[in-house]
Amino acid sequence: MDTTQKVPKPAIQTKNASFNYRKIKAVDNISIEIPSGISFGMLGPNGSGKTTFIRMLVGLIAPKSGTIRTLGRSPSRKLARHIGYMPQLPALYSELSIAQNVDFFARIYGIKNKSQRQQLVKEAVTMVGLWPRRKDSIGKLSGGMKQRVSLACAIVHRPRLLFLDEPTVGVDPALRVKFWEYFRRLTEKGVTIIISSHTMDDAAHCDRLAFLREGRVIAQGSPVELKQATGSPDASLEDAFLYFVQRKEGKIVSK
Amino acid sequence: MSANNIFAMASRLIRQLIRDRRTIALIVIVPIVVMSLITYALPSGGNTLDKYAPSLIVTMSLFFTFLLTGISFLRERSQGTLERLMASPVSRLDMVLGYIFGFFIFALAQVLIILLFTIYALNINYAGGLWQIFIFLILIIVMAVCLGIFASAFAKNEFQMVQFIPLIIVPQIFLCGVVFPTNQMNIVLQWVGKFLPLTYGVDGMRQIMLPEGILSNLKEIWPILHGLGTDIGILIAFVIVMSVLAAVGLRRGQPS
Repeated sequence: MDTTQKVPKPAIQTKNASFNYRKIKAVDNISIEIPSGISFGMLGPNGSGKTTFIRMLVGLIAPKSGTIRTLGRSPSRKLARHIGYMPQLPALYSELSIAQNVDFFARIYGIKNKSQRQQLVKEAVTMVGLWPRRKDSIGKLSGGMKQRVSLACAIVHRPRLLFLDEPTVGVDPALRVKFWEYFRRLTEKGVTIIISSHTMDDAAHCDRLAFLREGRVIAQGSPVELKQATGSPDASLEDAFLYFVQRKEGKIVSK
Repeated sequence: MSANNIFAMASRLIRQLIRDRRTIALIVIVPIVVMSLITYALPSGGNTLDKYAPSLIVTMSLFFTFLLTGISFLRERSQGTLERLMASPVSRLDMVLGYIFGFFIFALAQVLIILLFTIYALNINYAGGLWQIFIFLILIIVMAVCLGIFASAFAKNEFQMVQFIPLIIVPQIFLCGVVFPTNQMNIVLQWVGKFLPLTYGVDGMRQIMLPEGILSNLKEIWPILHGLGTDIGILIAFVIVMSVLAAVGLRRGQPS
């Protein structure tokens, strides 16, 4: 919570942002403010609008109504250099090696100096624990390894704002812990991380959380705050999520 | 537009293809097999092949380059890397130009194989200089790359892309004078043909290669393509229009 007060400028600000695919409301009037330098988790079941919302924040799709401010400006290609984006699918070039993939993304994100780029590529690939296999083609890797390469591609240019769409899918528990240690180091340096997930394990690591359902934010706050809101002392985040879903449906009268 | 991004895109494409050995082998073998088949299917004797060689070379160059670029660009979409590129500082024009430069080398190799195989292995007689033919084919390649990206920018999956082949290539073969002379066609179809780039490619190549063509009696090196101003001008216009349309088809903010 301290971080909220330390950094006055929010990394992301949305006002009534909405997006629909024909008649399906994917994102429905979301207004949120994400302070700089924190990890912000978006949690919700499949189809709750997490990916669509992230794509809007990245600038890949424009909101049908409402406004979005990313790093204080409306999303555009000028901001792209400061943003890292890891899509849900491990979007990689399967013929190329791990190092070649990461190097390509470093290059298009403006790191022109070759030795600097080699250094950054090494850092990123080492972080995801794949440096010994850097020369292997993507096609030879397992699903979880591809996911790790995909993360390396998103962080290689040291972005100020990092969007990770379900980054821990297919990643084993030991490495997941390592990922979160790394994310923590990034936020301490002032990087803002927005993560979507549907596992409560990830949720517990986030500084702040938003529960999404049917394109709406049904609750937000720190993991502790959300758990406390349920009223029972030993509630888990799962309990909290179900509590807010039921409250939204009117099954529980709010206090 | 950024030279760094264009160069990064192009060198990545080249690396990708080089690491895919089977594709490289197919790039070499397929045009040779197809050209040989067509040659031996033509009635033997006389100068049938000499007459058809210019239009066949142009059509094959267009077809193979179109296919290579179209499918490759489409994979960018289906594997999700296009999404990544769209979120990056790479502009749409950088992407199109990166593809043109990246594929140029492979298309050039393929076109050279088609050209040299037709001339030396299939032994055709031709007027005009080899250099003139070659320079003209470069223009055809650039056009085909643009056409490939243009088509794949509008195809959302492989299934749609495959259906663009009969839509884009087959009408050109029949309406652009590759097989039948255009002046014997229905007037409406003649007009349609005027809007298809292959018309100008076939005409230009005939002017270079056939003995009755404009260039057959011009032996001086410069102007290399003297008398082909209209064909070349129209082909360049096609290149510009199609690369712009391809970039438009890659708009940001589209649900993929």
